[in-house]
Amino acid sequence: MTRRERLTRKILGAATLCAAALPLSILIFMVVLARPLFSSFSVTDLLTGTWEPLQGRYGILPMMTASLLLALASLAVAFPVSLGCAGLIFGLAPPVVTVPLRRLVQLMTGFPTVVYGFVGVFVLVPAVRDLFQAGSGRCLLSALVPLSLMITPTMTLFFSDAFAAVPRPILLAATASGADPVQRFVWVVIPSARRGLAAGMVLSFGRAVGDTLIALMLAGNAARMPSGFLESSRTLTAHVALVIAADFQSLEFASIFVCGMVLYVLTSCAALCAWRMRAAAERYSG
Amino acid sequence: MKRGCWERAVRCGCYAAGFWVVSGAVAVVGFAVRQGAPHVTPKLLFGGVSAREALFGGAPVFDGLWPAVVGTFYLVAGAVALAAPLGLATGIYLAEFSRGRLKEVLTVFFDVLAGVPSVVVGLFGFSVSLLLHKMVSPRLGPCLLVAAFSLMILVLPYVIRATQSALEGVPQEVRITALSLGADPVQNLAWVLIPHSFRGIASGLLLAVGRCAEDTAVILLTGVVVTAGVPRSLLDPFEALPFYIYYVSTQYASPEELERGFGAALILLGVSVSLFAVAYAVRRAVGHWALYRA
Amino acid sequence: MDPVIKIRVEELTFRYGTRTVLRDVNAVFFEGALTAVVGPSGRGKSTFLMALNRLWEEVPGADARGRVWVRLDGNERLVSDPSFPVTELRRRVAMVFQVPNPLPMSIFKNVAFPLKVMGLRDKAVAAEVVEDALRRAFLWDEVKDRLREDARLLSGGQQQRLCIARALAAQPDVLLLDEPTSSLDARAAGIIEELLLTLKGRCTLVVVSHYLEQVERLADQVYEVADETLQLVS
Repeated sequence: MTRRERLTRKILGAATLCAAALPLSILIFMVVLARPLFSSFSVTDLLTGTWEPLQGRYGILPMMTASLLLALASLAVAFPVSLGCAGLIFGLAPPVVTVPLRRLVQLMTGFPTVVYGFVGVFVLVPAVRDLFQAGSGRCLLSALVPLSLMITPTMTLFFSDAFAAVPRPILLAATASGADPVQRFVWVVIPSARRGLAAGMVLSFGRAVGDTLIALMLAGNAARMPSGFLESSRTLTAHVALVIAADFQSLEFASIFVCGMVLYVLTSCAALCAWRMRAAAERYSG
Repeated sequence: MKRGCWERAVRCGCYAAGFWVVSGAVAVVGFAVRQGAPHVTPKLLFGGVSAREALFGGAPVFDGLWPAVVGTFYLVAGAVALAAPLGLATGIYLAEFSRGRLKEVLTVFFDVLAGVPSVVVGLFGFSVSLLLHKMVSPRLGPCLLVAAFSLMILVLPYVIRATQSALEGVPQEVRITALSLGADPVQNLAWVLIPHSFRGIASGLLLAVGRCAEDTAVILLTGVVVTAGVPRSLLDPFEALPFYIYYVSTQYASPEELERGFGAALILLGVSVSLFAVAYAVRRAVGHWALYRA
Repeated sequence: MDPVIKIRVEELTFRYGTRTVLRDVNAVFFEGALTAVVGPSGRGKSTFLMALNRLWEEVPGADARGRVWVRLDGNERLVSDPSFPVTELRRRVAMVFQVPNPLPMSIFKNVAFPLKVMGLRDKAVAAEVVEDALRRAFLWDEVKDRLREDARLLSGGQQQRLCIARALAAQPDVLLLDEPTSSLDARAAGIIEELLLTLKGRCTLVVVSHYLEQVERLADQVYEVADETLQLVS
């Protein structure tokens, strides 16, 4: 090994170390800054209690519930839509449809979240208000529609990749045994791509949980337990964005770091799951 | 025929899904264009001040988007300037110099980082600025520099992954060409591997620019404000387009402000979409870039 | 006069993962001779060449055991000796691949690439070496007016001669050629064969091939790969 090679390796290694320190230091910061709360409350209190800062209750259960509810519901909407779109792109539609649809989906991954929220505020919120007589119109339902639309393109692209990774011989075998495109898609392609599909879903769940702007702009931000989709609710992410202006010394302020921790743990679990699934998918196909 | 029935249903379902996505896109774009297009004029950017004075005379703009556009531009430039060297170096290290278990662990680390919600990244940036405020100087607080640093964390995984996968995609026969001529690994990297994966890396950087330009949650926590003028230093608060859009949607004071909000939404949408379009075009070209044929 | 042994291979064993490709290979190659290695494809002929210049180290999963000596400047040197830089080894034991692999740069820069690798900056010397290498590879007359053009615009046969010229630019002692004509048409292959005959003497050539007539026309010595080992045929 030459000196130059050793030097290059050292510099690049140092940069990698710096980059790898980032995810760790984010977690450490969250834990350290949330500590004032942990000294006066137990973890269960914080995770299962209600949010009444004036009464000295800093539980984040309502926010966690709203986040999970919103994320799971938008996943439930986006999954069939993405599967359908990916199916069209995979070949259930003629190329006249497929090619522009694929382009459009790719471009949609670039739509700014804040624009989804913006359009939601001026189009969806009044519509929901008039249709359901739902107070201000800012509620989980108003956030659900744009949020599911936002995660659909990425999910569709994930699914398309998973379908494209299905080995050709399997497809040929299905076609040769007389399956038409739809039968082949449902009986052969989806089952053999199931690990890739699962990984795509888990990652999209992470994105839905982590989204801030749509929930902040459309969900209403009332810090109480959501009892229905027409209720104003506050997600963990919106909670962080709203409480940030509080006094730095207060327990209220420390509670947003608990939210940060919960979000961090949720999304990194999603990332780890997706990674394991993809690794399994690779082993399976390779 | 019973068999043909469910197949037709599946096909119809797929088309319905496609229709839903297309109409969603049309609704978003259509609304932004219909409401925003009439207002996209020089007046939208510069308000009452003439463009020349604002650009070259340093005249402050109070009722236009100009400071927000400049703020976003600085943000993006700063974040990418920080993310590019770090991300490139890390991507190169992962692709070329790490093996086995270490590589696996590092890849998982960056997968986790890629999944961290932007509001958590913003929160981290905010706490860093608190730390600086306490430890270094009480004058320091959330500012352009902190925001750019936080955005760097947000887009770092994109740059790392783009670099890593572009390098790992270099075919084996290209990889050993220079080595067989006596080049050492560093020469091979600088003269063959990086030029060969240039497009993949470039598309990753473009995506990073797009993400920086559109992200709102990070800057919301790290120093963006409604009125600050064109930032004069890295330690100033700043304006930014996506935040302005958010602000207008929650509390606009006048119809003019609302119009500016529509204009800003259209501009941001246009910028983001074109960045992503170019990024995809660049990357697609890589796929068809059959250089090493016989 | 006894011919000088240029390369000596002793008990070379080669594995990809758990699959053994070559087992206990012993062979010698004489200086200035053209030695052919023949045998059915997929039995480790190319692998054997990579063992001679340690290029196998760049192939994931490959593993070689055994000893290879190369005589350079009058001394026999063990190629796996840690004090012997692998970059120098690969310059002096150059290699040409089955599929021509010009780098994405101009014709001139391709041929001058080994000089750049060695750290030679002098333009005039480079121009001289490039011209000489291109002449020896029978390519000079065809490309002398288009040295700045992208090398990938050349025809397949020209590209392969360019790769030979590039290998020659490093002034190698040994030239390894891995089926150099198999991706070319008959005419282009004929030119390359002629070229190889003129290179004999100044260079030690090891050519992997599966065209038996070609081998008969060119080779001084023939090894055949069979049963995971190399056997001297003639």
